[in-house]
Amino acid sequence: MTTSTTPAGPAHATPATAALPGPGAAGAAEGGGPGARRRGRPVLRRTRRPDEADRGALSPADWRRPLVRRSMRLSHGVLLALLVLCGLGPLVLLAKFAITPTQDILRTPLAVFPHGIAWDNLSAAWNDVQVSRYFLNTVVLAAGSWASQILVATTGGYLLSVLRPRYAKVVQAAVLATLFVPAVVLLVPLYLVILDPPVLGRSLMNSYWAVWLPAGASAFNVLLVQRFFDGLPREVFEAARVDGAGPFRLFWSVVLPMSRPILGVVSVFAIIASWKDFLWPLLVLRDPDIQPLSVRLPSLQATTDLGVLMAALAISTLIPVLLFLVFQRLFLRGAGLGGAVKG
Amino acid sequence: MRSSRTTALALTGALSFTLLAACSSGSDDAGEGDGTAGGKTVLRVVSLLPGSEQEAFDAFDEQVAQFEEANPDIDVQPEEYEWKATTFAAQLAGGTLPDVFEIPFTDGKTLIENGQLADIDAQVQALPYADDFNPNVLEAGTGADGKVYAIPAKSVYGIGLHYNRALFAQAGLDPDDPPTTWDEVRADAKAIADATGQAGYATMTQNNTGGWQLTVATYARGGRVQETDDDGTYTATLDNDGTKAALEYLHDLRWEDGSMGANFLLDWSSINQAFAAGQVGMFTSGSDVYTSLVQTNAINPDDYGLTAVPLEGDDAGVLGGGTLAAVSTSASEAQKEAAVKWIDFYYLRKLTDSDAAVKDAETLVASDQPVGTPVLPIFSQEQYDESQTWIADLVNVPLDQMTGFTDVIFDQPLIPEPAGSTQELYGALDTVVQAVLTDEDADIDALLEQADADVQAILDKNAG
Amino acid sequence: MALTHEARATSPRRTPLTWVRRGGLSTLVFALPLLVVFGLFSWLPIGKAVVMSLQETNLVTTAWVGLDNVRTVLADPLLATAVGNTLWFAALALLLGYPVPLLAAVLMSEVRRAKGLYSAFAYLPVVVPPVVAVLLWKFFFDARPEGVFNTMLGWVGVGPVPWLQDADWAMPSLVLEATWAAAGGTIIIYLAALTAVPGELYDAAEVDGASVWRKVWHVTMPQLRAVLLITFILQIIGTAQVFLEPYLFTDGGPANATITVLLLVYRYAFGQSLGGDYGAATALSLMLAVVLAVLSVVYFRLTRSWSQT
Repeated sequence: MTTSTTPAGPAHATPATAALPGPGAAGAAEGGGPGARRRGRPVLRRTRRPDEADRGALSPADWRRPLVRRSMRLSHGVLLALLVLCGLGPLVLLAKFAITPTQDILRTPLAVFPHGIAWDNLSAAWNDVQVSRYFLNTVVLAAGSWASQILVATTGGYLLSVLRPRYAKVVQAAVLATLFVPAVVLLVPLYLVILDPPVLGRSLMNSYWAVWLPAGASAFNVLLVQRFFDGLPREVFEAARVDGAGPFRLFWSVVLPMSRPILGVVSVFAIIASWKDFLWPLLVLRDPDIQPLSVRLPSLQATTDLGVLMAALAISTLIPVLLFLVFQRLFLRGAGLGGAVKG
Repeated sequence: MRSSRTTALALTGALSFTLLAACSSGSDDAGEGDGTAGGKTVLRVVSLLPGSEQEAFDAFDEQVAQFEEANPDIDVQPEEYEWKATTFAAQLAGGTLPDVFEIPFTDGKTLIENGQLADIDAQVQALPYADDFNPNVLEAGTGADGKVYAIPAKSVYGIGLHYNRALFAQAGLDPDDPPTTWDEVRADAKAIADATGQAGYATMTQNNTGGWQLTVATYARGGRVQETDDDGTYTATLDNDGTKAALEYLHDLRWEDGSMGANFLLDWSSINQAFAAGQVGMFTSGSDVYTSLVQTNAINPDDYGLTAVPLEGDDAGVLGGGTLAAVSTSASEAQKEAAVKWIDFYYLRKLTDSDAAVKDAETLVASDQPVGTPVLPIFSQEQYDESQTWIADLVNVPLDQMTGFTDVIFDQPLIPEPAGSTQELYGALDTVVQAVLTDEDADIDALLEQADADVQAILDKNAG
Repeated sequence: MALTHEARATSPRRTPLTWVRRGGLSTLVFALPLLVVFGLFSWLPIGKAVVMSLQETNLVTTAWVGLDNVRTVLADPLLATAVGNTLWFAALALLLGYPVPLLAAVLMSEVRRAKGLYSAFAYLPVVVPPVVAVLLWKFFFDARPEGVFNTMLGWVGVGPVPWLQDADWAMPSLVLEATWAAAGGTIIIYLAALTAVPGELYDAAEVDGASVWRKVWHVTMPQLRAVLLITFILQIIGTAQVFLEPYLFTDGGPANATITVLLLVYRYAFGQSLGGDYGAATALSLMLAVVLAVLSVVYFRLTRSWSQT
């Protein structure tokens, strides 16, 4: 559900290793059970076999029966109407409020512009509320969290799956254990670590590092990537080694290029989680200048004219919605898989 | 091969190195250790509420510029700030408060006891008007050692009854004849609700403000929510007759008259917003709230009215409180000097020096910011009256719509807020107010008894 | 002495030099990001949580208090309210958020034209930033008759409903918004699982002459069993930590009707202006963690057994 809490993931990342997509789905023989392979397919394979693409519970014969056809058409029509109403309706209203004078929003929220259109809501939101700046902060936060997660997950996965030093087992157990600790436990102690981190000697409060670095500590990502690396064909590694490739070259030129699918999955998770995060940035980013939209908008709600606030909300929504419409396929594929393992 | 290896090394090393290197330079460009940058003392100060109007920020920036011109060795960095009971602790613990920040009177003593405010006694005593403070007011920022840790600044307020003149007119009431008894408040609230469909009367309920305003209503009916015992400990008296009467009053307005509207989850800023939008006929809050209504809610001055809170019964009085300016314990000596200079410039000198007062008022007027909002004296009353004459020509707030308050406030007994575990007490009362407004069958006696027991437990714990 | 000598003799390669030569150093470079990040921001705080739950601290002075924090939490009358509310939220969220997406997904899997359109509309709310969604819905939930939802209800002669302004209505209102925000994601998960149901199973059922309903009930549903259980447990784990909605919609009100466990943790730690009770906060979060860890283990076991059968 929408628990957008938390130190970015360690606990959200739910214990789901068994359901992770093994690279088996990508073509290699081993790794992942049949269940895992199935769920992995939407992301990992571009095309489906035509025979299963359109085969639902209803057979072509069923579709030829008038009763079935009519009732299906009807329920599909109702479903589409409901989806439009629930999915699009609130956003259409938001768009309308964004250009409606405040008193009209308050008195007759559903009337269609009884006293004209207030375009200045939009400019006020853009210039006074500075949505653009906070959106940029949001993007910077997401990008940093993404980079930190990718770095830790790939190097960590490589360490545990390919390099396998003596201490790998201990490290893996310690990483795995954190999967079972929900984010709520970390809230207060992690806050205190950020306040007074060991070694560094200065508070990370009011710094993006306070969000980026904890985001990297996602056991889910590490195990996801490790499992994927486990399934990569060892012969390729051996061949590379024989050719004289050291661990760095092997990592950079062999393992990473083969890992694009899983990196895509981790990226989608990382960006969505960062986009939704609220409580953690609220606690550690107190300086209004560096806050993301999710923190800034609530603190403005009572001091901003309602029409302008609605315009700010609309602008904040527009960009992700446009991104979604453009990259719809990627989003839905990621969500299909992401949900199966992440919830 | 070499290049890719280097890239990989750089990639993997990046995090660890940046951890050590980049973090220590941090996001703050100013050198933080000694609070100096380029030979200047950097001073982070509280500016305005988040979301204030651009004109208000313009006026503030102008004042900062004036200050920096007079103090070229100080670099003032303003930060938006709103004191909220539910967020202050995280800021305090997180060390993210500005160097100069504002706290309510009620929190001064405990923060001083906990060693969380800087000792600015020496700097304050050097101010020319150091001996002129109203001793009762200065007391809130004085420690057990007799030293000053926080200065009464910004505003000392008495609670007033704010009303929307436009709604009064629409309901056929005379905006120049605001109610003077609680019965009249109730009748007017009903008239407004019936005629306009808006809430005739509203009260805050969230973020401890519900308890704050219930205490106001209690004092106005002669009740007290807390007693200080001879040994300095506190006894909760939440189930007193004044509080009960206040809650029954709210209950009747809400459930019998239906004159409190439909939305009850309001705190300090959201009730201001609703009031400025014409959704609330009357509410009680600090007398200084008009400034904020202009700065953040762009209220129409013609619609604003302020009158005194009706007092009924023996010992009835007006709750008074205020804001202290304090300095962070992490401030260096140079920053403390700079901080008190800023407090003097921004908060106090305009009350004690006619040139400064005029200059301040002119700056504010130039940006259409309110000048002359009624507050209570930080120094003596005579001194306050005198300071008002300096800027009489520049006052741009509708004082003639506030006479119901200004005419009587100095004759009303002023009662300070409860001193022991104030915010917890307020928080416990929030729940009671919310229950009364959202549940018609709420058992006021039982709710108060429970809240009283809860608060007493907290008081006992903090005493022990 | 003899022992050390012997140990050296049996593993002569273990000297720092050979360790470096055998790639130990470059391995360590790869280990560094994981060790640093997990060490500082996961293992250290977890350890700290356990220690802090046994301490009383104001960040300046710290004292060991044993199980006092646990006792404080258990004695807090708000605890029962918060646990009850959290369970109530979870139950309502399951009631709304479980069958509706399932029904929608089953229907959608039979759509033959413009399937993408259905998915797009269903998923749209998920893309809306959660904070924006809450602030927008907060306005929708305006309890005046002129409120958005109340105006709509007025068209059909119902209401006005008090929404967030009533102890009984507040929680269902929160769940309504939460479901709206999350249902799209759940639908897409189910849809992915439905597409993965092997067509041969339906073919076989048809050979046996199964009706549409029987196919859905006896073929589709059993195939979804795994994913249904996974989403079920994940949803419980998620709802147990719900914070955003009660914090932004009602701040736990009215009269504590929507205070949840995580909101209580937040209040212990950060809600009092004069300093938080970090001990009680970590104690309560650990107690919640134990419950969730049990659920996680169950979940882990189940997903493992399912992926192996």
